[in-house]
Amino acid sequence: MSLRFLSTARTQLADIVIIGGGPAGLTLAAAVKNSPILSSLNCRLVEGGNLIGPLKSFHERPPSNFTNRVVSLTPATISYLSDIGVWKHIKEGRVESYDNIVAWDGVSGAQIDFDGPSLATMCETLNLQSALLARIEELNEETAIMDNTKVENITSDEINGWPVLQLSSGESLKARLLVGCDGYNSPVRKFAQIESRGWPYNRWGIVATLKFKDGEFRHPTGWQRFLPSGPVALLPLPDNWTSLVWSTTPEYADILLKLDDDAFLAMVNAAVKLPVEELGVLYKMAHEDPENLVGEITWRLNVFNEKLRPQETEKYPLELDTIVAKSRAKFPLKMSHADNYVEERVALVGDAAHTTHPLAGQGLNMGQADVKSLVAVLEKSMERGLDIGTKLALEPYFSERYPANHVLLGIVDKLHKIYSTDIAPIVMARSFGVNVLNNVPFVKDYMVSKMGEK
Amino acid sequence: MPLVKPQVAPSRQFFTLAFTAASQLYKSTSLADQLERGEIHRGPNHDELLARKKAPLFVRPEPNYPQHVPLYGFEKALLFVGSAIGAYLHPERNEFIVALGESTALPYFLKQLKVQMLNDPVGRQILKERPYITSESLNLAKLKQYPDNTLARAYVDWLEKEGVSPDTREPVRFIDDEELAFIFQRYRQCHDFYHAITGLPIVREGEIALKLFEFLNLKIPFAGLGALFAPIPIKKSQRSRLFNIYYPWALKNSFTCKPLINVYWENILDRDVDQLRHELGIEKPPDMRQLRKAKITTL
Repeated sequence: MSLRFLSTARTQLADIVIIGGGPAGLTLAAAVKNSPILSSLNCRLVEGGNLIGPLKSFHERPPSNFTNRVVSLTPATISYLSDIGVWKHIKEGRVESYDNIVAWDGVSGAQIDFDGPSLATMCETLNLQSALLARIEELNEETAIMDNTKVENITSDEINGWPVLQLSSGESLKARLLVGCDGYNSPVRKFAQIESRGWPYNRWGIVATLKFKDGEFRHPTGWQRFLPSGPVALLPLPDNWTSLVWSTTPEYADILLKLDDDAFLAMVNAAVKLPVEELGVLYKMAHEDPENLVGEITWRLNVFNEKLRPQETEKYPLELDTIVAKSRAKFPLKMSHADNYVEERVALVGDAAHTTHPLAGQGLNMGQADVKSLVAVLEKSMERGLDIGTKLALEPYFSERYPANHVLLGIVDKLHKIYSTDIAPIVMARSFGVNVLNNVPFVKDYMVSKMGEK
Repeated sequence: MPLVKPQVAPSRQFFTLAFTAASQLYKSTSLADQLERGEIHRGPNHDELLARKKAPLFVRPEPNYPQHVPLYGFEKALLFVGSAIGAYLHPERNEFIVALGESTALPYFLKQLKVQMLNDPVGRQILKERPYITSESLNLAKLKQYPDNTLARAYVDWLEKEGVSPDTREPVRFIDDEELAFIFQRYRQCHDFYHAITGLPIVREGEIALKLFEFLNLKIPFAGLGALFAPIPIKKSQRSRLFNIYYPWALKNSFTCKPLINVYWENILDRDVDQLRHELGIEKPPDMRQLRKAKITTL
């Protein structure tokens, strides 16, 4: 009896407990605190790692180089971030918004280009997170964030079934609504026993921060070349800097990460230009004879550039000549989608509910749309006097987001599959399709308008 | 505005006056406005129309290298059909053989050759240096001074025996990619070295035997077509000699022989030819001219 008393004395009660301090979790916390209807709720955010320190130091003394985790924000995401008062805290000098996207087939060369005002905006994840934290601070809710606190166990309360979190700080937290923003291996999803389905792509994403050679001007453009091993994308950052996202096979990823900076840079230059069959030779050389790699690539690029006619040079990105030391990193790519986003007293948001291939740059934006939808649903439940943790109250969130996310996951998955081969009939079919899309104005206008939707 | 009266027939004059009056009445002001806005001689979407105006169809693109003759797809197809028929009926005529070779050398096959070359240090050296074989570059007179049984001597002796010269090789014209054109050019120019090292003569039979070997070694489709169709119109005795002696030789050697495109012949002229054959994994077939003289069709 006394034991029971002790344990309950240390249990705090919260209306909303968010697990995970990534962009999705922080956006949800900021949006809840920003909402006049929800701000009175007791909302806590639990993060296992050190969150506040690094974000504050980024906000106060931003590093001179760009960090390597960069996300692409759609106009819809930015407009939502503005609505909840976050965008004004973003360091605008470190984000780049661009009007042109050029994507082309690495095997056939079939190209499609999109042109619309501010189709996407590149922003460092740290920049976004620190702006979110700044907004939370502005709302005087910094105390709601518990960082350096791991969730050791999640159990159900024996009386009313509410989730109870055992924290590494020794405290426990009982939640009316537990929101999992805790990524692909979501403990919250496991606690709620929600199945997640999908498959690994057997590909790794390599990121790095690079810079184009100075001297020539190009409008900021997002470049993406689809190679059979995966797309390689160069996405613009301010001042000719660019963020690399290179999806490739595990074997190639190993080879690429072992190279020194100069050889890696040469490989990136080769990957955006040289024919696919030559790249195979270069990977082999990078593995067996990396000393001579830079020289060979320089030679192959010269051969390639000499063949280009003047009007064709603009179809390819400029040469890269600088890489931020130690900015290379890799992460595995997979497709997954949870069967359900909501369960009694549980909701899943962002990567906990779905993960996708980065080729369309939609992962983070889907999470932001989830947050927007969940907050709207919570507001409605509050106004109607519902218990926000019940499945009944949460279900509209699932029914709104699941189909939209599923369509996007499907499109990205099919794009990956269509482009991860060099079998001639498939290459011909996809190139024909791209040429049609690129030359039928109303289809392209429709696609651009979809991308630019707010 | 004073009008200058033109010297024309009265009826025409009346018409002109009436027309002028009408236009004065209805148009003058708006015309002046349009003129001011620059819309008289160019419609409102003049610039747009100009921009949309595409280059006319059938303007031949600029050549990619000096000898290049850019062809459209249908022209390439016609070239293939014409040269295939010509080469079948008149295999002795060089222009058909040359055109058939180039029209069947699709980029797919040449790219494979390129990859083979890029994967090999000597192949890369050849691609970088772009050697071009002529009788001057080889200096035939000097080649004769090489010791016996060197590659140089084997080559010169073969040239003399068959009465040919390295300058008889046509430049490549119909392959669009400059580097792939060089690779095909290189294959064509090295063809005589293949003859020299195998000792096969330039008679039809010898060429057919070498074609099969080339096809298996270099995967050039034209050589395969030759090996497949050229034996049809020749004499029965010749055909059986090919099938009994030389095709088995080509097949057997194709398993052991290194890709010949990666041999820098000009740089190894002083090598012993038997040793070279051994290194390349190729054995010399029986002397065809002797077998022909002796009328031997099987071994």
